[in-house]
Amino acid sequence: MKEESDGALLRRVLSGEPRTYARLVDRYQARLGRYALRMLGNKDDAEDAVQDTFIRAYRSLGRCEGDGFGPWVFGILVNRCRTHATKRARTQGVIVRSEVALATASVASSEGRDALRDAIDWALKQLPAEQREAFLLKHVEDMSYEAMETVTGVRPATLRMRVFRARDELRKLLAETVRD
Amino acid sequence: MTEREDSLDPIIEILREPAGLRADLTDRVMSEVDRLPPPGIAALDRVRWWRRTWTIRLSPVRGLGLAAGLAVLALGVHLAGRRAGPATPPGAERAPEGQPIQFVLIAPEAQAVAVVGDFNDWSMSATPLARTLGDGVWHVTIPLGPGRYRYAFVVNGAIWRNDPEAPAAEDEFGRANSVVTVGGS
Amino acid sequence: MRLGMIPLWLLIAATPPMARGQEPRLLGRVPDPARAQVDAILDAARVRGLPVEPLVDRALEGATKGAPPAAIVAAVTRLRDELVVVSRAFGETASTAELTAGASALRAGAGADDLARLRRLRPGRPLTVAAAVMADLVAAGVAADTAAGAVLALAQNADDADYIAFRRNVQRDIELGASPAAALAVRIRSATDLSSTPGSETMPGTGASRKRKP
Repeated sequence: MKEESDGALLRRVLSGEPRTYARLVDRYQARLGRYALRMLGNKDDAEDAVQDTFIRAYRSLGRCEGDGFGPWVFGILVNRCRTHATKRARTQGVIVRSEVALATASVASSEGRDALRDAIDWALKQLPAEQREAFLLKHVEDMSYEAMETVTGVRPATLRMRVFRARDELRKLLAETVRD
Repeated sequence: MTEREDSLDPIIEILREPAGLRADLTDRVMSEVDRLPPPGIAALDRVRWWRRTWTIRLSPVRGLGLAAGLAVLALGVHLAGRRAGPATPPGAERAPEGQPIQFVLIAPEAQAVAVVGDFNDWSMSATPLARTLGDGVWHVTIPLGPGRYRYAFVVNGAIWRNDPEAPAAEDEFGRANSVVTVGGS
Repeated sequence: MRLGMIPLWLLIAATPPMARGQEPRLLGRVPDPARAQVDAILDAARVRGLPVEPLVDRALEGATKGAPPAAIVAAVTRLRDELVVVSRAFGETASTAELTAGASALRAGAGADDLARLRRLRPGRPLTVAAAVMADLVAAGVAADTAAGAVLALAQNADDADYIAFRRNVQRDIELGASPAAALAVRIRSATDLSSTPGSETMPGTGASRKRKP
């Protein structure tokens, strides 16, 4: 059976099938979760942000049209992560070292790979939030600059600069751990 | 400037690994969704939906006090649902000097409400609000010339409240402000 | 934001003794060590041609909110610095209302060059509401550079009522659950897209009806 498009599911939810929303949640939670985890640095906050995002998206679903649910809900998540980061900075001070517990028990991790992961998480945390945001959207979520403009509200020229600086900084920070 | 360089590829590969969030995330979202009005209905219908839900959930065998309290709440929800009209302090339109601006606060528990702000020297006594018919809706109308005025409500001389109908504004003294902007030169 | 400030002592020394005074509204409200310092700031501001009204308001706000004297002085000083920057950006003829709104925009994260550009894009028209909307958007969760960009994009064609309506629409969208970025993107698109046909206002990311920014 061919999978229904986002737009088709959206129309069904809006025409009186609220439970169908669960299929959109299933479809997008992995991507949203990955971004939130990398942006916020720990699973609890990422889960809160993703849940909150899906609830907000549901409440204003009537404003989303056509097949645009993906970028639209991503935009909500990006903003939740920004607000969340501000709150955390106020209450907890700057987090120096990442607390990320990485995924998937199925992947056997050697000590070396764990160390690399820790180093990456730490390096990500050193970036200013807007650089981290742009880098993740571009290189991890593979968005075009056009889509990123929609999601972040920032001009592509500015986004390009942030991505460039983020890559530069990450390369410097990870110079010893990166293998050619 | 190249967009992609090999040295970052292993980093990116690791970053793309799944986050492994909780398995019941969809269930948690949907249990919250079940409690919400269906999306896509107009804002005013949304208010009606909430009010109807309130009424349905209440047992009919309750005291008079609770019913009165609910009536006030319903009024509050109704007024909060309105986005335009005289009860909302307008961030107004092109204005002659001294446009009348109305401030409203729903505070059934209050004995006194004042508004303090940039327009009255932040004085607690300059601009008290009046209550209509004892139903907890406090209001006052004052003329304001063009400008941006930050303000807040003070209940019973001690409790600071923002205006839920107005945008938030900066504050550096630990008590948040609301703001109204009046246009013109 | 570091400024090349004329030292305070020089300004006070340059003030004729008669002009130095006590702001009557502060008496009995702002505690004494702070009051004298605020009076000095007001004197210097007058000499510079800055409006003192917003500075007095800030001191009185702090007093009413029970802030410690040092915080009151710091707040007045900070606002004074912002007013200096805004008066450079907006020009000597800016009204008190414009300067105050501009200071709020600066506080919210707009740049001095954004404000200068706003002045250039709206010659001869009041800037109060435009600057105020910039600050309000940031308070609603929009990123500062995005808010500034939006206000500037509207600067040539919007009147005060348009700005107010724009801000209200974005605010309402946010309250109904949209992200600030998305809410702003939709509203700015519909506000600046001169060729939009009825019913073509769509959410970002949709297919055929997506319009390019002019």
